[in-house]
Amino acid sequence: MKKEDTVKLISAEGFEFVIDKKAAMVSQTIRNMLTSPGSFAETEHGEVTFPEISTTILEKICQYFYWSLQYASGKETEFHIEPELTLELMMAANYLHT
Amino acid sequence: MGGACSRKRDQPVNEDNLNRGVSGRYTKSGSSKWLGTSFSRSSMDASQGKRSCPSLMDLCIYKIRQDINKYSTFSMLPRDISQQIFDDLVCSQCLTDSVLEAFRDCALQDLNLGEYPGFSDNWMDVVSSQGSSLLSVDLSGSDVSDSGLIYLKDCKNLQALNFNYCDQISDKGLEQINGLSNLTTLSFKRNNLITAQGMSSLSGLINLVKLDLERCPRIHGGLVHLKGLSKLESVNVNCCNCITDADIRALSGLTSLKSLQIASSKVTDNGVAFLRDLKNLTLLNMEGCPVTAACLDSLTALGALLYLNLSRCNLTDDGCDKFSKLQSLKVLNLGFNEISGAMLVHIKGLTNLESLNLDSCRINDEGMVHLAGLSRLKCLELSDTEVGSSGLRHLSGLHNLESLNLSFTVVTDAGLRKLSGLTSLKSLNLDARQITDAGLAALTNLTGLMHLDLFGARITDSGTNYLRSFKNLRSLEICGGGLTDAGVKNIKDLTSLTLLNLSQNNHLTDRSLEWISGLIQLVSLNVSNSRVTSAGLQHLKSLKNLKSLTLESCKVTANDIKKLQSSDLPNLVSFRPE
Repeated sequence: MKKEDTVKLISAEGFEFVIDKKAAMVSQTIRNMLTSPGSFAETEHGEVTFPEISTTILEKICQYFYWSLQYASGKETEFHIEPELTLELMMAANYLHT
Repeated sequence: MGGACSRKRDQPVNEDNLNRGVSGRYTKSGSSKWLGTSFSRSSMDASQGKRSCPSLMDLCIYKIRQDINKYSTFSMLPRDISQQIFDDLVCSQCLTDSVLEAFRDCALQDLNLGEYPGFSDNWMDVVSSQGSSLLSVDLSGSDVSDSGLIYLKDCKNLQALNFNYCDQISDKGLEQINGLSNLTTLSFKRNNLITAQGMSSLSGLINLVKLDLERCPRIHGGLVHLKGLSKLESVNVNCCNCITDADIRALSGLTSLKSLQIASSKVTDNGVAFLRDLKNLTLLNMEGCPVTAACLDSLTALGALLYLNLSRCNLTDDGCDKFSKLQSLKVLNLGFNEISGAMLVHIKGLTNLESLNLDSCRINDEGMVHLAGLSRLKCLELSDTEVGSSGLRHLSGLHNLESLNLSFTVVTDAGLRKLSGLTSLKSLNLDARQITDAGLAALTNLTGLMHLDLFGARITDSGTNYLRSFKNLRSLEICGGGLTDAGVKNIKDLTSLTLLNLSQNNHLTDRSLEWISGLIQLVSLNVSNSRVTSAGLQHLKSLKNLKSLTLESCKVTANDIKKLQSSDLPNLVSFRPE
């Protein structure tokens, strides 16, 4: 995987998730960060830090990104959400426009 | 974690369809008329095209709905998120007494609980707990009472309140809201208790922009309390039979008024005279008022007038020359008046007209010449007039015409050729017995047609060949009795159809349903009075969007349809026999 095709998402605790750029762009917020030239440092480094998103939630979000790509390509499976994560996940989803 | 709130605040009060009866897509054929109100537009367009991926937000909301009893409060959530959860629960009718409790102190902005089953005064405490955040409340159709309204007193920022069809609210209830001076929209449709005395409470609502009191029969004398409401732009007292000229006098100083609806009131020409100074008035609806052409003297002073509805009034040709001064008019409804074609000479110069309704007037071919220059006309209603084929030639230059209703006129097949150049036409009503296959043959140019009504026309199987030109058809009615299964075969490729009415064609069999089975966009289907049997119902399984199915006088029972509904047609809400 070429480096320019991936992005690094960093959680509040400092965990790093390296995922396909295509997957990360499912989030409108991340898409804006990565595509608006000059305005975000993230554009250059391909790195985004989320000081308010915990590792557990960020992992779930990355899973959603890939699930969403699958869904779009016709594989309509169910996306499982643990009840105890729902509210926190929702706040993150709201922030990420996803 | 912020994230700009992108959620659009819904308007709790439905916008009135001001052009209703003017744009009249389904004006004549009673068979499909009701669709206009029963099915919202969004549902008609639903599930066309590819299903989009649910957002993570949607998935979370769905998950919360499933586990709703595990949550005791949502007050720790940001407002825009709890609002989305709330809206979803309302929409899916999962909100109950105990669930509602979880929304106490959530700082919600909008409580759109119109027609919500089970709403009672007991819920008002939680409503009230939203406090100064609350901007709009819709409790239409609920049992909320005067004592329930006390809870709204402290919601000082309320901008919109909707209490349509709330028959427990009286003058006392109005007293409770008279301090909500930020209100801009207030609606009390069909309230039998409110009187002039209660309306005195409205005088404090100095920011009121829109007031709806449609079908309130006891408000006579109450409009006087609106005098100081200098921001009022829209007043609807349609179907308030108690409204008289004296009431209109109370409105004469409200120069901010842009829209006034007084249909089916007792207002006469004398009352209309009080409207002279309303220079900002753009819409005036006087349908069914006992006014004559003499009221035009007053209306000519209203230079901003765009929409004027004078249908079912007491107009005759006498005095109609004043119409020529209403130059700004875009929409004019003169239906059901005793006016003749000669009167149209006064309409001739109204070149801004986009919609003209002459339904059931005594218009003949001679009068039609005066319409030839109305090149901006998009919608023309000539139903139940004496217009015939020779009159149609004056329409051939109206290239912007999108909707034309010629039902119950004396237009013949030969005349329809004059319409062949009107390629902007989207809706055409030819519900007339003398129209046959030959007439349809002349229309194959009109490839933009979306609505074609041939209800009573004598169309046979060979005529249906011409329907193939109309690939964009959304609705089609052919009920003249001349179709067999072979004709329905020609309809099977009109895959955009959402409404199909083939009733009264008593030769149609189950074979027809087989042809129809590919029309998967169908929302409404009627094949009544045919030889369709319950065995044919299996062909309808593919019609997943179907909301209405009518098979009266067929060999089909309600039980047969119910079975089909529960096994294959989850969206079916209305069916006959029932």
